Amino acid sequence: MKAESQFQVFEAAPGSLEPIRDFIASFATANDVDKKKIFKLILAVDEIASNIMNYGYPMAGIDDGTIQVSIGCQDGKLRVVLEDNAIPFNPIEKSMPTPEDLMKPVEDRPIGGLGIFLARQSVDLFDYEYRDGKNRNILVVAID
Amino acid sequence: MKVAIQTKNNIVYITIQGSIDSNTAGELQSRIMEELVSLNRVIMDLTNVGFLSSAGLRVLLMLYRQLNSNGGKMLLVNVSEEICDIMSMTGFINFFELYSSIEEAEKKFKLT
Repeated sequence: MKAESQFQVFEAAPGSLEPIRDFIASFATANDVDKKKIFKLILAVDEIASNIMNYGYPMAGIDDGTIQVSIGCQDGKLRVVLEDNAIPFNPIEKSMPTPEDLMKPVEDRPIGGLGIFLARQSVDLFDYEYRDGKNRNILVVAID
Repeated sequence: MKVAIQTKNNIVYITIQGSIDSNTAGELQSRIMEELVSLNRVIMDLTNVGFLSSAGLRVLLMLYRQLNSNGGKMLLVNVSEEICDIMSMTGFINFFELYSSIEEAEKKFKLT
Protein backbone atom coordinates (compact mmCIF):
# COMPACT_ATOMS: atom_id res chain seq x y z
CA MET A 1 0.00 0.00 0.00
CA LYS A 2 1.31 3.44 -0.92
CA ALA A 3 1.58 6.12 1.72
CA GLU A 4 2.79 9.67 1.17
CA SER A 5 4.75 9.90 4.37
CA GLN A 6 5.35 8.00 7.57
CA PHE A 7 7.39 8.40 10.71
CA GLN A 8 8.45 6.20 13.56
CA VAL A 9 10.47 6.77 16.73
CA PHE A 10 13.21 4.28 17.55
CA GLU A 11 15.28 3.77 20.67
CA ALA A 12 18.84 4.98 19.94
CA ALA A 13 20.39 1.54 20.48
CA PRO A 14 22.22 -0.74 18.02
CA GLY A 15 19.33 -3.21 18.15
CA SER A 16 17.20 -0.57 16.37
CA LEU A 17 19.37 -0.51 13.23
CA GLU A 18 17.67 -3.46 11.57
CA PRO A 19 14.12 -2.20 12.38
CA ILE A 20 15.10 1.24 11.01
CA ARG A 21 16.43 -0.33 7.78
CA ASP A 22 13.26 -2.46 7.49
CA PHE A 23 11.07 0.61 8.01
CA ILE A 24 12.82 2.48 5.17
CA ALA A 25 12.96 -0.55 2.88
CA SER A 26 9.27 -1.38 3.23
CA PHE A 27 8.19 2.19 2.48
CA ALA A 28 10.55 2.38 -0.51
CA THR A 29 9.44 -1.02 -1.82
CA ALA A 30 5.79 0.06 -1.60
CA ASN A 31 6.75 3.06 -3.73
CA ASP A 32 8.36 0.87 -6.41
CA VAL A 33 11.91 2.06 -5.80
CA ASP A 34 14.47 -0.31 -7.32
CA LYS A 35 16.49 -2.65 -5.15
CA LYS A 36 19.86 -0.99 -5.70
CA LYS A 37 18.56 2.44 -4.74
CA ILE A 38 16.90 1.03 -1.65
CA PHE A 39 20.17 -0.58 -0.61
CA LYS A 40 22.05 2.71 -0.95
CA LEU A 41 19.41 4.62 0.96
CA ILE A 42 19.30 2.15 3.84
CA LEU A 43 23.11 2.15 3.91
CA ALA A 44 23.16 5.95 4.27
CA VAL A 45 20.46 5.90 6.97
CA ASP A 46 22.22 3.05 8.82
CA GLU A 47 25.54 4.92 8.86
CA ILE A 48 24.01 8.15 10.19
CA ALA A 49 21.87 6.33 12.76
CA SER A 50 24.93 4.31 13.91
CA ASN A 51 26.86 7.54 14.46
CA ILE A 52 24.04 9.02 16.52
CA MET A 53 23.86 5.87 18.68
CA ASN A 54 27.56 5.23 19.05
CA TYR A 55 28.85 8.82 19.42
CA GLY A 56 26.10 11.46 19.47
CA TYR A 57 24.13 10.31 22.50
CA PRO A 58 27.05 8.85 24.52
CA MET A 59 28.95 12.16 24.09
CA ALA A 60 25.86 14.04 25.25
CA GLY A 61 25.71 11.78 28.32
CA ILE A 62 22.20 10.67 27.36
CA ASP A 63 21.49 6.95 27.70
CA ASP A 64 17.82 6.84 26.72
CA GLY A 65 17.91 8.84 23.49
CA THR A 66 15.65 8.31 20.52
CA ILE A 67 15.86 8.75 16.77
CA GLN A 68 12.79 9.83 14.86
CA VAL A 69 12.82 8.54 11.30
CA SER A 70 10.47 10.14 8.77
CA ILE A 71 10.13 9.10 5.17
CA GLY A 72 8.11 10.70 2.43
CA CYS A 73 7.71 10.46 -1.29
CA GLN A 74 7.06 13.53 -3.40
CA ASP A 75 7.85 14.73 -6.94
CA GLY A 76 9.83 11.61 -7.81
CA LYS A 77 12.00 11.86 -4.73
CA LEU A 78 12.25 9.89 -1.53
CA ARG A 79 13.16 12.05 1.44
CA VAL A 80 14.27 10.64 4.78
CA VAL A 81 14.77 12.81 7.87
CA LEU A 82 16.53 11.57 11.00
CA GLU A 83 16.00 13.68 14.11
CA ASP A 84 17.83 13.33 17.42
CA ASN A 85 18.59 15.33 20.57
CA ALA A 86 22.24 14.27 20.83
CA ILE A 87 25.25 16.62 20.63
CA PRO A 88 25.19 18.87 17.55
CA PHE A 89 27.05 17.06 14.79
CA ASN A 90 27.14 18.19 11.19
CA PRO A 91 28.31 15.36 8.90
CA ILE A 92 28.73 17.83 6.05
CA GLU A 93 31.50 19.66 7.91
CA LYS A 94 33.42 16.44 8.37
CA SER A 95 36.27 16.14 5.92
CA MET A 96 35.86 13.41 3.34
CA PRO A 97 38.56 10.96 2.30
CA THR A 98 40.34 12.10 -0.87
CA PRO A 99 40.67 9.83 -3.93
CA GLU A 100 44.29 9.31 -2.80
CA ASP A 101 43.10 8.14 0.62
CA LEU A 102 40.80 5.63 -1.06
CA MET A 103 43.66 4.21 -3.10
CA LYS A 104 45.84 3.68 -0.04
CA PRO A 105 46.73 0.08 0.69
CA VAL A 106 44.42 -1.45 3.27
CA GLU A 107 47.38 -1.70 5.68
CA ASP A 108 47.75 2.09 5.80
CA ARG A 109 44.14 3.00 6.27
CA PRO A 110 42.76 4.51 9.39
CA ILE A 111 40.12 2.31 10.97
CA GLY A 112 36.85 4.16 10.65
CA GLY A 113 35.86 7.44 9.03
CA LEU A 114 34.19 5.65 6.15
CA GLY A 115 30.64 5.71 7.45
CA ILE A 116 29.86 9.34 6.73
CA PHE A 117 31.66 9.11 3.41
CA LEU A 118 29.46 6.16 2.39
CA ALA A 119 26.32 7.92 3.64
CA ARG A 120 27.01 11.06 1.63
CA GLN A 121 28.04 9.15 -1.49
CA SER A 122 24.97 6.94 -1.43
CA VAL A 123 22.28 9.62 -1.68
CA ASP A 124 21.60 12.32 -4.27
CA LEU A 125 21.31 15.06 -1.67
CA PHE A 126 22.54 15.18 1.89
CA ASP A 127 21.57 18.09 4.11
CA TYR A 128 21.90 18.90 7.78
CA GLU A 129 20.42 21.44 10.14
CA TYR A 130 20.45 22.04 13.88
CA ARG A 131 17.26 23.58 15.15
CA ASP A 132 15.46 23.72 18.50
CA GLY A 133 18.09 21.49 20.09
CA LYS A 134 17.72 18.81 17.43
CA ASN A 135 20.01 17.45 14.75
CA ARG A 136 18.19 16.93 11.49
CA ASN A 137 19.91 14.78 8.88
CA ILE A 138 18.09 14.94 5.56
CA LEU A 139 18.70 12.34 2.87
CA VAL A 140 17.11 12.53 -0.56
CA VAL A 141 17.19 10.10 -3.48
CA ALA A 142 15.61 10.50 -6.90
CA ILE A 143 13.51 7.47 -7.68
CA ASP A 144 12.71 7.66 -11.37
CA MET B 1 23.21 -12.35 11.89
CA LYS B 2 24.36 -15.95 12.14
CA VAL B 3 27.96 -17.13 11.77
CA ALA B 4 29.11 -20.67 11.13
CA ILE B 5 32.82 -21.44 11.33
CA GLN B 6 34.34 -24.70 10.20
CA THR B 7 37.91 -25.83 9.67
CA LYS B 8 38.85 -28.31 6.95
CA ASN B 9 42.26 -29.05 5.40
CA ASN B 10 43.80 -26.08 7.22
CA ILE B 11 41.29 -23.67 5.76
CA VAL B 12 38.85 -21.75 7.96
CA TYR B 13 35.43 -21.53 6.32
CA ILE B 14 33.27 -18.70 7.58
CA THR B 15 29.63 -18.61 6.49
CA ILE B 16 27.66 -15.54 7.42
CA GLN B 17 23.94 -15.07 7.17
CA GLY B 18 22.12 -11.78 7.69
CA SER B 19 23.29 -8.21 8.16
CA ILE B 20 26.73 -6.97 9.16
CA ASP B 21 26.11 -3.61 10.81
CA SER B 22 27.45 -1.80 13.86
CA ASN B 23 25.20 -3.99 16.01
CA THR B 24 26.62 -7.31 14.77
CA ALA B 25 30.16 -6.47 13.58
CA GLY B 26 31.75 -6.74 17.04
CA GLU B 27 30.44 -10.25 17.62
CA LEU B 28 31.51 -11.31 14.13
CA GLN B 29 35.02 -10.02 14.65
CA SER B 30 35.53 -11.74 18.00
CA ARG B 31 34.09 -15.04 16.73
CA ILE B 32 36.48 -15.03 13.78
CA MET B 33 39.56 -13.87 15.71
CA GLU B 34 39.18 -16.86 18.07
CA GLU B 35 39.58 -19.19 15.09
CA LEU B 36 42.61 -17.50 13.60
CA VAL B 37 45.01 -18.33 16.40
CA SER B 38 46.61 -21.22 14.55
CA LEU B 39 45.34 -20.94 10.97
CA ASN B 40 45.79 -18.24 8.38
CA ARG B 41 43.78 -19.25 5.33
CA VAL B 42 40.19 -18.07 5.27
CA ILE B 43 37.30 -18.49 2.86
CA MET B 44 34.41 -16.19 3.76
CA ASP B 45 31.07 -17.00 2.18
CA LEU B 46 28.88 -13.90 1.87
CA THR B 47 26.12 -15.50 -0.24
CA ASN B 48 23.50 -14.81 2.42
CA VAL B 49 24.69 -11.41 3.55
CA GLY B 50 22.07 -8.93 2.43
CA PHE B 51 23.52 -5.87 4.11
CA LEU B 52 26.98 -4.66 5.06
CA SER B 53 27.87 -1.21 6.40
CA SER B 54 31.17 0.51 7.18
CA ALA B 55 31.20 -1.49 10.43
CA GLY B 56 31.39 -4.62 8.25
CA LEU B 57 34.14 -3.13 6.12
CA ARG B 58 36.06 -2.48 9.34
CA VAL B 59 35.85 -6.16 10.26
CA LEU B 60 37.19 -7.09 6.80
CA LEU B 61 40.00 -4.59 7.25
CA MET B 62 40.98 -5.96 10.68
CA LEU B 63 40.96 -9.52 9.34
CA TYR B 64 43.02 -8.53 6.33
CA ARG B 65 45.63 -6.94 8.58
CA GLN B 66 45.67 -9.85 10.99
CA LEU B 67 46.09 -12.38 8.16
CA ASN B 68 48.62 -10.28 6.30
CA SER B 69 50.81 -10.04 9.38
CA ASN B 70 51.13 -13.83 9.56
CA GLY B 71 51.40 -14.57 5.86
CA GLY B 72 47.76 -15.56 5.49
CA LYS B 73 45.00 -14.72 3.10
CA MET B 74 41.23 -14.31 3.00
CA LEU B 75 39.11 -15.00 -0.08
CA LEU B 76 35.56 -13.67 -0.33
CA VAL B 77 32.85 -15.73 -2.01
CA ASN B 78 29.61 -14.53 -3.62
CA VAL B 79 29.73 -10.86 -2.74
CA SER B 80 26.46 -9.24 -3.85
CA GLU B 81 26.44 -6.50 -6.45
CA GLU B 82 25.38 -3.94 -3.83
CA ILE B 83 28.20 -4.89 -1.46
CA CYS B 84 30.64 -4.87 -4.40
CA ASP B 85 29.55 -1.27 -5.03
CA ILE B 86 30.40 -0.29 -1.45
CA MET B 87 33.78 -1.98 -1.79
CA SER B 88 34.38 -0.07 -5.04
CA MET B 89 33.37 3.28 -3.54
CA THR B 90 35.82 2.84 -0.69
CA GLY B 91 38.65 1.30 -2.74
CA PHE B 92 38.45 -1.95 -0.75
CA ILE B 93 37.77 -3.85 -3.97
CA ASN B 94 41.45 -3.50 -4.94
CA PHE B 95 42.64 -5.41 -1.90
CA PHE B 96 40.27 -8.32 -1.62
CA GLU B 97 40.00 -11.36 -3.85
CA LEU B 98 36.44 -12.15 -4.87
CA TYR B 99 35.26 -15.56 -6.13
CA SER B 100 31.92 -16.74 -7.39
CA SER B 101 31.96 -20.07 -5.57
CA ILE B 102 33.66 -21.87 -2.70
CA GLU B 103 35.16 -24.33 -5.20
CA GLU B 104 36.82 -21.47 -7.11
CA ALA B 105 38.27 -20.11 -3.89
CA GLU B 106 39.52 -23.57 -2.85
CA LYS B 107 41.29 -23.93 -6.20
CA LYS B 108 43.12 -20.69 -5.51
CA PHE B 109 44.36 -22.01 -2.16
CA LYS B 110 45.36 -25.35 -3.67
CA LEU B 111 47.46 -23.55 -6.28
CA THR B 112 49.32 -21.43 -3.74
